[in-house]
Amino acid sequence: MRSRGFGGFAAGALVAGAVLWSFATTDVDLSRLLSAGPRIADFLGRMVPPDPTVMNEIVKGSAETLRIAILGSLGAVLLSVPLGILASETMVSPALYRPVRTLLAFIRAIPLILVAMLMVGAVGLGPLPGIIAIAFHATGMLAKFYAEAIDGVSRAPIAALESAGAAPLAQLRYAIWPQMAPVVARDTIFRFELNLRESLILGIVGAGGIGFYIQTYVRSFQYEKAASVTLAVIAMVIAIEGINVALRRRFA
Amino acid sequence: MSAAAQIGDLSFVHQGAGLPALDHVSLMVPAGESTALLGPSGAGKTTLLALLDGRLRGWRGRVSVLGAPLDPDHPPSRASRPDIGFVFQEFALVERSSVLRNVLNGRLGRMSPLRAALGSPLPRDLEVARAALADCGIADLAERRVDSLSGGQRQRVAIARCLAQEPRLILADEPVSNLDPARAAEILTLLTGAARARGATVLFSSHQPDLARRFADRIVGMRDGRIAFDVAVGDLSDVATADLYRETTALPAIGLRAVT
Ligand SMILES: Nc1ncnc2c1ncn2[C@@H]1O[C@H](COP(=O)(O)OP(=O)(O)OP(=O)(O)O)[C@@H](O)[C@H]1O
Ligand SMILES: [Mg+2]
Repeated sequence: MRSRGFGGFAAGALVAGAVLWSFATTDVDLSRLLSAGPRIADFLGRMVPPDPTVMNEIVKGSAETLRIAILGSLGAVLLSVPLGILASETMVSPALYRPVRTLLAFIRAIPLILVAMLMVGAVGLGPLPGIIAIAFHATGMLAKFYAEAIDGVSRAPIAALESAGAAPLAQLRYAIWPQMAPVVARDTIFRFELNLRESLILGIVGAGGIGFYIQTYVRSFQYEKAASVTLAVIAMVIAIEGINVALRRRFA
Repeated sequence: MSAAAQIGDLSFVHQGAGLPALDHVSLMVPAGESTALLGPSGAGKTTLLALLDGRLRGWRGRVSVLGAPLDPDHPPSRASRPDIGFVFQEFALVERSSVLRNVLNGRLGRMSPLRAALGSPLPRDLEVARAALADCGIADLAERRVDSLSGGQRQRVAIARCLAQEPRLILADEPVSNLDPARAAEILTLLTGAARARGATVLFSSHQPDLARRFADRIVGMRDGRIAFDVAVGDLSDVATADLYRETTALPAIGLRAVT
């Protein structure tokens, strides 16, 4: 109990220290902080009313975002199938799955926006760096999920089919896959939803999609147009959430 | 009397286990009859049945099943496996698949690998599966998913899958341990009845001497990996049964060490 009390004190001191350090070393004086509220209000004020003439750009940008999410997800699935198998405790030896899992954790640790910036640097502006970034970033999570789906399969029905003389392919089809399929479907849809959501902002770093227009309009002080695009993004996030809830219900 | 299984001086130690699960077992399972394997928990019943099913490696002794010797170091050929049916203690069904699909899974070893992988059963496969369902009294459950069934219904599906395999030897590991007495008697009636109708041999394990008496022709008592008795059902004495289930009297080794 004593050590726990000390642990709590240490944690509190650490947090307080971190906050004080941030205040002391960040270059914001109090007057700027106080005027930030009105400035933000003013900024938001210039966004109303949203400019509806950008409908074309919204449709074009959304379609590209959707394409980036779909192709990026496809790439992630194609990468995650082999990597998921290699990260599975039940399919390969520890000498293999341990480093593969570390690699996946490493991939997950890199923020998507960073990957996208690097890819823009590597292959240039447009949807291609976005697709590559999504595929890479999503694989870190999806391959881990696939590995868990493989490892979650109960061995007993497989042993039963083997005992009945079923060939390995038949075991895969009738004992392994039926157990995995719902998990794989659910995880893939979940990851696709995240990909769609995250790809909305990829355009800000030049990796294609609707985010490109937000960035363009803000930089050229066309705040009413930026507002319209932002609202469209919010509407899409809500729509994705709604579809997701409906799908969850189906897979429950 | 011909033998469905012949076991000579068989010993087996599970990986990582200290004591042998099977300790110099010799046994003959007569063909065409029902034999009950009786014994307390940990006696080695599941181990013996799994070994006869060709699933264990590294044992010592001589074992032949349906006239063919088993190899202690290699799994049996796939072609030989459908002849031996196994009813698993925990059913081992594919929970999310339908009852009919699970029963058809019992046919996979009788199909060509291509047909099995493509999933196109022949009319004969469907016919055998439907007959097995009917024999187990679950024809009306064919389209239900297994995860929606009761324990007794699952047990019937597990037996139907085994029957669909058209085995000549049925190994059933405690096929009624999860059921109430009335349901247990029903299941053993249909299992031994279906086996007799098909000319198949049954070897089933059980904790319940009364059920073994009622449904087996022969009773084998096991304890601590050894055969305690092997008698025709009429020759089973209450004394032998009681002795089989006596409490362990020996002090555990750790207790002895504490004293010295
Ligand atoms: N996979 C295993 N690894 C190590 N030891 C095992 C394993 N399976 C069984 N054993 C041991 O082997 C012995 C025999 O077990 P077995 O499961 O064959 O008994 P059983 O008669 O079927 O018992 P029950 O009536 O509880 O099912 C036990 O001492 C058990 O602890
Ligand atoms: Mg057992």
